[in-house]
Amino acid sequence: MLNRRQLLAAGLGATGAVASGAALANHVWPLLAREDLIPGDATSIDLPHRAWTTTSDQVSFVALGDNGSGGRQAIAVAERIARTYTIQPFGLVALLGDICYYGRIEDRFEDVFERPLRPLIDAGVNFELAIGNHDTAIRRTDEGLDEIAAELRLLGTPGLYYKTTHGPVGLYYLDSSVPGLSGSESPEQLQWLDDELARSTNEWKIVVLHHPPFSSGKHGSTAAAQERLVPILTHRRVDLVLSGHDHHYERTHPIDGVTYVVSGGGCKRTPVGRSAFTAVSHSVLQFLLIDVRGERLTATCIQPDGGVVDQFELRARAGE
Amino acid sequence: MNRQWIDRVAPPIYAVIDFAVIMAPSIAIKQAADKGGMGDTPGTDLVIGSLLIAFVHAVIAGRRLQSEERVALRRLDLWISALNAIVVLALLATLLLVVILRGFADEHSSLANRNYPVLALWMGVQVLAVACAELTGRFVFWWLEPERHLRKSHRRSQSRSFNRRPE
Repeated sequence: MLNRRQLLAAGLGATGAVASGAALANHVWPLLAREDLIPGDATSIDLPHRAWTTTSDQVSFVALGDNGSGGRQAIAVAERIARTYTIQPFGLVALLGDICYYGRIEDRFEDVFERPLRPLIDAGVNFELAIGNHDTAIRRTDEGLDEIAAELRLLGTPGLYYKTTHGPVGLYYLDSSVPGLSGSESPEQLQWLDDELARSTNEWKIVVLHHPPFSSGKHGSTAAAQERLVPILTHRRVDLVLSGHDHHYERTHPIDGVTYVVSGGGCKRTPVGRSAFTAVSHSVLQFLLIDVRGERLTATCIQPDGGVVDQFELRARAGE
Repeated sequence: MNRQWIDRVAPPIYAVIDFAVIMAPSIAIKQAADKGGMGDTPGTDLVIGSLLIAFVHAVIAGRRLQSEERVALRRLDLWISALNAIVVLALLATLLLVVILRGFADEHSSLANRNYPVLALWMGVQVLAVACAELTGRFVFWWLEPERHLRKSHRRSQSRSFNRRPE
């Protein structure tokens, strides 16, 4: 028979063992494996200034998603991007959203952006941003709007959605948050996209947004994007759609001619499965190097140790 | 299973669990780095740091259990105190790390900027977790067996009065 003290201590111990065992196994250890919480040490690499070549039919750029931790993994990916620049220089990094985790961008800009990407910034590489849900909330609040405003200002981004042209490529950056893509602001943005794509003379049309229309990952496909955006992309013969949000790499088979890529492994990893639309999927830290030469686009998914996860080629649809 | 056999086997098993609990967070991070394509090196420093602490503490915890087995008035008391100690260790060795790393990301990044070694922070937190677990284990055991202390103090006072007896 237990005495009162034994009963109390044994009860606390047993409850604690069950609760902590469940919490650790189900939440905390997976969280440690999934997040990028260990602060990193950025190495300094001197890159040649503006060494890339962009002409009317040639351009190289990188797509990097969900890289906002400032931790070891983010720095390892950024370092690999810098090393890739030494082999194949590029003048642009398209950021696929979520450039700041674990705090506000104004407090963490140096940690999550300037320090990891310093070699590229010093080399004169441009950065263009599609805003993500950690840069705001999926449903924007006043605080979220402040965060977006700070990011747009810090990165010199012209607006929530905008178009840029680099050589033969037109890049259409969208705001895929709830008011932007499926709320009150959606018709305006989608009308803008439709008009811009209709009048585009670019050989290549690439749409960049944070939430993936098609994904087999943790968050999965974005229903609003499939419902409202995909018909426009199909109708206007977009070549490639780049997104993040899910922390993995996934490429679809062409869906009505459009290839969709999730490239959200900029600092964290979450599991990914396969769907009927999946051509390749890997839960891996990565970025995408895209090289466009005339009618041919070659994209290479690279992980921090330099290994190639996937490589694919597309032919421009404008000429079809 | 006889009592002698349990006395011999239980402390090493407890030490192994203790070891695993301390190692778990660094293994989780190392595995994530490996699977993420980071190469072989990243995360190894944390594993080595945890290995050092886990090894030392597994020995200490195993010995604590052995010594408590020798003096315990009730065997159940030492198992209850050991359970409480391992729960505190499991929680603090991982949760405290997560809270500190996630809650103070800014501060850590700026320290990392100044070449402050992350390993020191990691090991410091795990040493703190180990110290808390040891204190918990010893305190709970002490609290569960008040008679032992009464007897001890009684023996002390007896020996004092014996020494004071005039010749």
